[in-house]
Amino acid sequence: MADEALFQFLHNEVIQYVYKSAENGEMENGRCITRLENMGFRVGQGLIERFTKDTARFKDELDIMKFICKDFWTSVFKKQIDNLRTNHQGIYVLQDNKFRLLNQLSAGKQYLEHAPKYLAFSCGLVRGGLSNLGVKSIVTAEVSVMPACKFQVMIQK
Amino acid sequence: MSRQSNRTSDSKKMNSELFTLTYGALVTQLCKDYENDEEVNKQLDKMGYNIGVRLIEDFLARSSVGRCHDFRETADVIAKVAFKMYLGVTPSVTNWSPAGDEFSLILESNPLVDFVELPDNHNNLVYSSLLCGVLRGSLEMVQMAVDVRFAQDTLRGDNVTEIRMKFIKRIEENLPAGDE
Amino acid sequence: MTCLCFLCVSRDYDELSSIMAVCIAVIAKENYPLYIRSVPTQNELKFHYTVHTSLDVVEEKISSVGKALADQRELYLGLLYPTEDYKVYGYVTNSKVKFVIVVDSSNTSLRDNEIRSMFRKLHNSFTDVMCNPFYIPGDPIQSKAFDSMVSAMMVQAC
Repeated sequence: MADEALFQFLHNEVIQYVYKSAENGEMENGRCITRLENMGFRVGQGLIERFTKDTARFKDELDIMKFICKDFWTSVFKKQIDNLRTNHQGIYVLQDNKFRLLNQLSAGKQYLEHAPKYLAFSCGLVRGGLSNLGVKSIVTAEVSVMPACKFQVMIQK
Repeated sequence: MSRQSNRTSDSKKMNSELFTLTYGALVTQLCKDYENDEEVNKQLDKMGYNIGVRLIEDFLARSSVGRCHDFRETADVIAKVAFKMYLGVTPSVTNWSPAGDEFSLILESNPLVDFVELPDNHNNLVYSSLLCGVLRGSLEMVQMAVDVRFAQDTLRGDNVTEIRMKFIKRIEENLPAGDE
Repeated sequence: MTCLCFLCVSRDYDELSSIMAVCIAVIAKENYPLYIRSVPTQNELKFHYTVHTSLDVVEEKISSVGKALADQRELYLGLLYPTEDYKVYGYVTNSKVKFVIVVDSSNTSLRDNEIRSMFRKLHNSFTDVMCNPFYIPGDPIQSKAFDSMVSAMMVQAC
């Protein structure tokens, strides 16, 4: 879909902007990642507010995570999460075998080090969405084999 | 209440909401980074330009439009094909200058500003400045130098959003486009 | 005086049968008010107190563990409690934000679907506020659009 392309271009440009303004200032990689993540967080809050406007109330934490994996992921990333695992003690691993926002990155191993830049905003999206549903968490992501991606959600009590 | 409410239309809408909200997050971030609105406008324009020079390829690949023969044709393609494709809206093309080198795009609704209410301390912010850069950048890639600015903005109290586009000159093909 | 009253009635000509609230509040998940508007002629503190008390009832309604009632999944909570002069209605979003509408008890043409519709409007406008990039979640709501929507649902002072 064309407007998907527009978002991808915007997302890329946001990443470039954050890193470019870091060059001029004193920000290192970690701060850039945080900045991107925080932007995603605010967007996630808004998206989840819109998206849960017409849904029934969630039963519990697992209910919320399933919603994130199915409805939220489909609307934002065009597909469902392929695999959800949990230790039932507050850690969830969400596996997306073809993560949409990694399209822009070539598959070569040398690009793997740049993957975190392309995942930071999305981690924020998830964390923001969960936060607005009353679930405090830490969300990280890693890529082992492109374009598959694992998001780890650690619920904070 | 079922959660499976009208999935397809929701998906498309959600997607444009993702774009709108991400753009909003960008604008507010820039407002924090820069002291004044003019600087923010410039940054948004620059970023739009960077997007535009790449977007044009995507556009040419997706649409089946051929080479435009004149500025009028360009205007129609921008309004009826490009805007529709990327933003889901079709502005009207009006207010042509007598020389035929300047026109207006009138948008009844601007998806970038959905839900936005400008606070009082941002009177000089041209919120949708990204669009100016996108248009300028993409047209530069097809050898047209244009000037793009907002003449009316619903966020600043106007009834419609009006983008004014002026043809400056043709760019020779062997000159590399400047990347800002 | 008569002139003003006439304006009040004819303004919402197409909503003559709607319920008009005497107080509308939006409460954050941490239970502090994000927005509270009451009819100016009444003692505002009384309304603040009424809203505050209603929060306990809201908590009770949404935290009933083990209840398999279908309506427990609804966002609309219905009548929270009646006082001598007022009826208090509640609604909780999935983001744990509560809306409270206080209506005069003497308003005899109360229809459940009208109250629900008021909450829907509140919810829709609140969602728009959340999506305003200049709004910081948790801050008091300062939105012209939100104000207009609430004004249209409040009893106008005559």
